[in-house]
Amino acid sequence: MRYYVRKLAFYLVALWAALTLNFAIPRLMPGNPVDILLAKLQQRGGSIDPAARRSFELLLGAGGDEPIVSQYFAYLGNIVRGDLGVSVSAFPAPVSEVIASALPWTVVLVGIATLLSFVLGIALGALVGWKRGTWLDSLVPATTVLAAVPYFWLALILVAVFASALGWFPLTGGYDVVLTPAWDAEFLSSAIYHGTLPALTIVVSSVGGWLLGMRNMMVSAMSEDYVLTAQAKGLRDSRIMVRYATRNAVLPSVAGFAISLGFVVSGSIITEQVFSYPGIGSKLLQAVQNNDYALMQGIFLVITVAVLGANLVVDLLYALIDPRTRVSG
Amino acid sequence: MSTVDTKRRVLPRWSPKLGVGLGLIAVVVLVGLVGPLLVGDPSAVRDIGLTGPGAEHWLGTTQTGQDVVAQLAYATRGSLQIGVLVGVLATVLSAIFGIVGSYAGGLVDEAFSLFSNVMLVIPGLPLVIVIAGFVPAAQRGSWTIAIVLAITGWAASARVLRAQTLSLRNRDYVAAARVAGEKTWRVITVEILPNLLPLLASQFVFAVILAILSEAGLSFLGLGASNSSTLGTMLYYAQNGFALQREAWWWFVPPGLVIALFGCGLSLVNFSIDEIINPKLRDVPRRPGKVAETVAATPAERGEDDAVLTVDGLSVVYQGKNPVLAVKNVSLTLRRGEILGLAGESGCGKTTLAYAVNRLHRPPAEVTSGAVTFHDRDGADVDVLGLGVEELRAFRWSKLSMVFQGAMNALSPVTPVAAQLDDVLVTHRPEMTRDQRRQRCREVFELVGVDPQRLGSYPHELSGGMRQRVMIAMALLLDPQVMIMDEPTTALDVVVQRGILLEILKFRDELGFAVIFITHDLPLLLEIADRIAVMRDGEVVEQGTAEELHLNPRHPYTRELLDSFPSLTGDRGGFVRGTPALHDGGVR
Repeated sequence: MRYYVRKLAFYLVALWAALTLNFAIPRLMPGNPVDILLAKLQQRGGSIDPAARRSFELLLGAGGDEPIVSQYFAYLGNIVRGDLGVSVSAFPAPVSEVIASALPWTVVLVGIATLLSFVLGIALGALVGWKRGTWLDSLVPATTVLAAVPYFWLALILVAVFASALGWFPLTGGYDVVLTPAWDAEFLSSAIYHGTLPALTIVVSSVGGWLLGMRNMMVSAMSEDYVLTAQAKGLRDSRIMVRYATRNAVLPSVAGFAISLGFVVSGSIITEQVFSYPGIGSKLLQAVQNNDYALMQGIFLVITVAVLGANLVVDLLYALIDPRTRVSG
Repeated sequence: MSTVDTKRRVLPRWSPKLGVGLGLIAVVVLVGLVGPLLVGDPSAVRDIGLTGPGAEHWLGTTQTGQDVVAQLAYATRGSLQIGVLVGVLATVLSAIFGIVGSYAGGLVDEAFSLFSNVMLVIPGLPLVIVIAGFVPAAQRGSWTIAIVLAITGWAASARVLRAQTLSLRNRDYVAAARVAGEKTWRVITVEILPNLLPLLASQFVFAVILAILSEAGLSFLGLGASNSSTLGTMLYYAQNGFALQREAWWWFVPPGLVIALFGCGLSLVNFSIDEIINPKLRDVPRRPGKVAETVAATPAERGEDDAVLTVDGLSVVYQGKNPVLAVKNVSLTLRRGEILGLAGESGCGKTTLAYAVNRLHRPPAEVTSGAVTFHDRDGADVDVLGLGVEELRAFRWSKLSMVFQGAMNALSPVTPVAAQLDDVLVTHRPEMTRDQRRQRCREVFELVGVDPQRLGSYPHELSGGMRQRVMIAMALLLDPQVMIMDEPTTALDVVVQRGILLEILKFRDELGFAVIFITHDLPLLLEIADRIAVMRDGEVVEQGTAEELHLNPRHPYTRELLDSFPSLTGDRGGFVRGTPALHDGGVR
């Protein structure tokens, strides 16, 4: 129980830190983002009602005399209500709406790709570690190359080969633009077809990290006494590998999930850009290019919350697979 | 810790991986350092437009006719600069938060550790993009980008360094320096830092890879430093110049390839550093062939009617540059129902011998000669060293089971003990139903005096004595004819030890299996063993009944061993056999 409380408390602190960071960054940076935003709005013929102005000021820092502390609490209040301001590039849509339309694409794409590469990497890593001293060892340097390849470059190569040259997959986009998004077979299959190359990029670039980590832990686990005991017990190799070595070796991989997830999310943002995928990463870059600061901030918050949430889920799962955490805390 | 020892571990061992890694790094660094001196102006515009590779331009030109080779050389230099800069900054940050915090301990450590963990879970690149988005392009210099990347990239290695420092901090030589009143900075720089060097080096290498990749990503998005050209900027221009659509592979393939090769080189070097940090990862020799191929001797005849295990002229060698003969030509006979004690100091080969009997020795250990013969109850003689893989598997535990040294690690920490007992029955007795298996597990638990309720427990929920009882229960599951016990009670306190020894004697009487009991404690063997073999440097120097050895030790080494141990009760011989009342009072 203590473990859960600690974890929950930690993620609350992390969430608070992210919110505060989000509050502080625009105020620490040179220039006056609010003025830039309002000027942009006017260019687009948007009217500046006082509420919109106020919400921008809370997000990005006001020029007025309002004390920073009261700005801070008003900002937190706005966030809690889900008010992230108005997007300039998609005026007059609120930031929350823009994010809501893009988020599902990224969550599904990155979620499935991460899960696939995790499972694949763990399984292969366990096998390579177990069969140490055989030809499988040569997989290790091969995955090193893959792990060092920049995500977006791999994406470019995949596009060049499979979309441009061979024409097997579409060049860009999340679905066939002639279709309207709906939960029907035609649209879903189009989405899967378009998502294959981006997902492949993420899986290929991230599987090496899982594989290497798992392989190293497997090698360590294999010299543990419980594996020797299992061998002395006359168990079959497959059973020793799965129930003794892998079962123990997988723990650090799960515990280190947070580190790896950060890489995957970062890589996915750039990957989306290459594929012009209608997800949150492309939106973030659009926001940066258009100086749409409110949208930029909102997306950063949403990505952070999603990553924190995923890590929390993994930490809770960890307690299930390592009984020792439940007592010692 | 002597400095010689430290130095030896700081330098990685030479291996092909390290060679290839260093080679890749050298080539890329050379391109970055020397390349710009040899090539022309990277931004010189020619009116030839996008041209493929040829004699004049080895890697062709960009859409404005700029030479790709020249651009590549300058871009490599730019990427390397930023990579090393960020690598240094991030490593310094992680050292401050990881090493200093954990060394100081207390609140400082808590705060630093919380800070690192928070920085770790906040995704780095989105944060960098947001910061870069706020800084106007004109003000985004290399230093700005480097500092932002360092600030978002140090947390993971701070965590690794913290864990290692915590373990170093509690080692004896560091504690000694602290007690001696050495100044904190001195303890950190003299005692701790040298031992962290391999880890710091590996974290630095890792930070460089990460920095080059992140910078490339940032520049590719058009958010990089405005005054520098890096491999990422090249890819940005290639993407915006529609290199992909125009199939100008010579433009967008080389920059990524340079990053990948350099990263790969650094990772390969990191492997070698990892092997210093974690010696278990060092390359092992290929798996050995069947033992039978290297062993010439034939199985022994059943010399005496009541023999259950005969070891004949067994030798075990640890192969390597300087092969070590760990067990030299050892011959032993174990009779049915007897306890054979195997005594000797640690390192004398007694454990190696015990493992080799069951063929549990691992490379580089190898049985080079001799025979191990098991004489089954039903009259069959089994040549253990000649068994096939599947026969050996079936032989283990059902005929010969083992109780290992240190039961803490012999049980898997993440599985309930019931499952670890059940495993044995599922594999060896597939005909048993689930209920029968559960019943059998309860039986053996009751036999060794552990409450069957404990079957659902995890090893960490049991005391040391209970874990060892569980191990003995497990060894009894299949009613084996031989049980090898390797220091089964050494790690336990005297009272628990006595309870367990009494029970081993009881089982032997009731169940009639033979025991090879390995220990460094010769006086203990005098009390429980029927016969004793004394080992030294891989050889059996003396063999005889417990009485013979006790009253008339022939070998000087035996006498030495006898004198070196005070008896547990101070009264030799009265420890186990002399106190029958304890049979009931065994510790639970």
